[in-house]
Amino acid sequence: MLEVHSIDVYHGDLQALWDVSFHLDEGEIVTLIGANGAGKSTTLETIAGLLAPAKGSVTFDGVRLDEKPSQIIVQLGVCLIPEDRGIFTGMSVLENLELGAFNKRSRKVKDESLKFVYEMFPILKVRSRQVAGTLSGGERSMLAIGRGLMAKPKLLMLDEPSLGLAPLVVKNIFDAIRKINNAGVGILLVEQNLHAALRLAKRAYIIENGRIVQQGEAKSILSDEQVKDAYLGTR
Amino acid sequence: MTSSWKQFSTTGIILILLILVPLITTRNDVLTWFSLTLQYIVLSQSWNIIGGYAGQINLGHAAFFGAGALTTRYLWISGLSLPLALLAGALVATSFALIIGVPAFRLRGIYFVIATLVVSQILSLIFETLLPRANVLPMKLLDTYSLIPRYYLSLFIAVLTVATVYWISRSKLGLGMMAVRDDEDAARTSGVDILKYKLVAFAISTFLAGLAGGVYAYYSSACKAGYLFEPVWTFDAVIIVFVGGVGTVLGPIIGSVFFVLLKQLLSVYLPGGIHVLVYGVLFIIVVLFLPEGLTDVIKRYRKLIAAHGETPSKNVQGR
Amino acid sequence: MVIDLLAQTFVNGINVGALYGLAAVGLSLIFGVMKILNIAHGEFLMVGGYIAFWFFTLYGIDPFWGLPLVAIILFLLGAGCYKLLFSGVAKFMEETKIKNSLLVGFGLFLIIPQIARMLWTADERAITPAYSGGSFPILGIRIAYAPLGGIAVALVVILGLHLLLSRTYFGKSVRAASENWKAAKLMGINVDWTFLLTFALGVALAGLAGVLVGLTQVITPAVGMTWTLKALIVIVLAGMGSISGAFLAGLILGVVEAVSAIFMGPYTIALGMVIFLVILMFRPQGLFGKV
Repeated sequence: MLEVHSIDVYHGDLQALWDVSFHLDEGEIVTLIGANGAGKSTTLETIAGLLAPAKGSVTFDGVRLDEKPSQIIVQLGVCLIPEDRGIFTGMSVLENLELGAFNKRSRKVKDESLKFVYEMFPILKVRSRQVAGTLSGGERSMLAIGRGLMAKPKLLMLDEPSLGLAPLVVKNIFDAIRKINNAGVGILLVEQNLHAALRLAKRAYIIENGRIVQQGEAKSILSDEQVKDAYLGTR
Repeated sequence: MTSSWKQFSTTGIILILLILVPLITTRNDVLTWFSLTLQYIVLSQSWNIIGGYAGQINLGHAAFFGAGALTTRYLWISGLSLPLALLAGALVATSFALIIGVPAFRLRGIYFVIATLVVSQILSLIFETLLPRANVLPMKLLDTYSLIPRYYLSLFIAVLTVATVYWISRSKLGLGMMAVRDDEDAARTSGVDILKYKLVAFAISTFLAGLAGGVYAYYSSACKAGYLFEPVWTFDAVIIVFVGGVGTVLGPIIGSVFFVLLKQLLSVYLPGGIHVLVYGVLFIIVVLFLPEGLTDVIKRYRKLIAAHGETPSKNVQGR
Repeated sequence: MVIDLLAQTFVNGINVGALYGLAAVGLSLIFGVMKILNIAHGEFLMVGGYIAFWFFTLYGIDPFWGLPLVAIILFLLGAGCYKLLFSGVAKFMEETKIKNSLLVGFGLFLIIPQIARMLWTADERAITPAYSGGSFPILGIRIAYAPLGGIAVALVVILGLHLLLSRTYFGKSVRAASENWKAAKLMGINVDWTFLLTFALGVALAGLAGVLVGLTQVITPAVGMTWTLKALIVIVLAGMGSISGAFLAGLILGVVEAVSAIFMGPYTIALGMVIFLVILMFRPQGLFGKV
């Protein structure tokens, strides 16, 4: 479904990604793990169209994404939930959710999508008229994910959804992600929280300093001694 | 260190030539042309300090020019010695600057822009209304009017200004200013005192602008108070700086020469006021496509010459 | 007697204030959404006034009918300017973008009055339909027709703008893009297009104000800067980012100016500067703005 092929990405004059390649098949959960600054967000932003690769290509369902603007990419079914959640704090929860369904394809099924989101995150229904800026961290994450769902994506990309959240909330979020995947949406998950990510995903890629250094089945990486030493040591 | 010796001696030669100009020619139009160019160098370099090096866009530079001009003019005509009158003018300008700068710099950058624009416009309107008649030099001073001392004063202040900018560009002060210009947030987190650098840059800039005004006040035989505050002084400075090369020492100098030359040329062939149009278009082109102005053009031209002339062993700066 | 004078002054102040407000709203919209301060805002206002003048003197079109025409023309002009000049700036980083857009606006500020001078000369122009001098009395106060129409137009426009921003999808995309344009992009909002339309809208609003200025005051090539100035004072008074507050602040400024003109005469010009500096020093968020 998603094919990232040998991309080089620059932030201005500084190179951030070197020859990054990976793929995601329909209905899969794939995770991209790595330390801070490794290039995880850059990768997602590139797929979402916020950055353009200097080399290489990004293909989704056979269509090249890397030359298209973000709004087309969303229309094609790829939705990114950024690290900072990108919530419009000045607007209500409902307005945020409705904005998620901005693109033409999802506008038609807006009400249906809204019902699905409220079922998944009942708290959002409770707070639907509240200004988004008053929500707690966990609620904001849920709103961000809910908003992403409103776009009726075929592939949902999440940039560190567990960031800054209490363990119980993280569990809820990850359960929700699993539910979303069960409904047929592909998930590309970027995380620093190794355990949660590797338990959830089917396959994983490890990115270090802008390069993919390891890949494989999530279970085997989870039990890999080297990975444990490198990443699960002191933090 | 051959290149800096070359720079030094070139500057020295140019200076000597400039000093000799009134001895070589007594033609008033030549002296006028030189004097004006030198005054524009002062005006534009002074803007360069706040706009080019500190990165704060001052759209009311005319206010400080005018404040200096008006103050100097009245004090000098009333009998105060010229140097003191000039100094007073510059100090008045700087005081104005601090009145605006202190509140404005504590807020977001855009407030400074608006504040300078608003204040200078209103001052212009006020003086137009208060002192509508042109102020002509009294007989005593008109009789002894000579371009030569005015030329030398312009030269002196111009040298002073260029030296100041040169010093700033190499000093810790300049470094601080440029840090503020390039990335204010990064500078703040690195511990740079943003307010201090902006205020110092602004103070120096307006002091020199006030001097420029004072020199002009001494230079012009008749002038209207409102005219001294007109936005045209801001425009000219900003255009010269950008077309010449913003944030460089050489830029405003090249820009001033180019500006005065172009003005002469255009006023011959085109009806009045069109030159403003030409400058406006030129300005926009520079801002959008040639951010380094003429100095960039010259630099590239030189590289081209160097690439054709010299052997590869010397050139390691390829891209 | 004094009451009558004050009441009349108040009405005069509202008349002018409505124009101040309308002029400021366009500027506030563009700045609030895109962080571009269009220094040439007043110049577009002036162009709007001149075009309405042309329509009136050449074709006899009443300025109130001319309003939608001017709006469309200036909308297109604004869109063109944005596409040509300002969007080229948008590809830079945030801070450079703000600085460069200021400079580009500055360039326009030089060019447009020159063109105006060539097309219309430096003479004062005014739009003078039959009703332009007329007025009717209410309780001893003269209510002039033309400014009254101006106030009505301003109110309709402001209301329309408010509805546009709060009820339509376009309005939502504008609000989203102004809060966080990256996130807006990720929602599928075409941010470039949104910015273009917003800029064009702001310029069109300036043009509308210009028509009213031509009707109730005079238009000269120099008038642009005066109105940019007023608009700037109003948006600082209102609080940068407060679009609805801008209109109210305009009214306030108009009334305050009118009342103090009684005491200060020709020095009323300085009042604007004083108000401005006071706000800057003691209440930078303005009357209605968020800090």
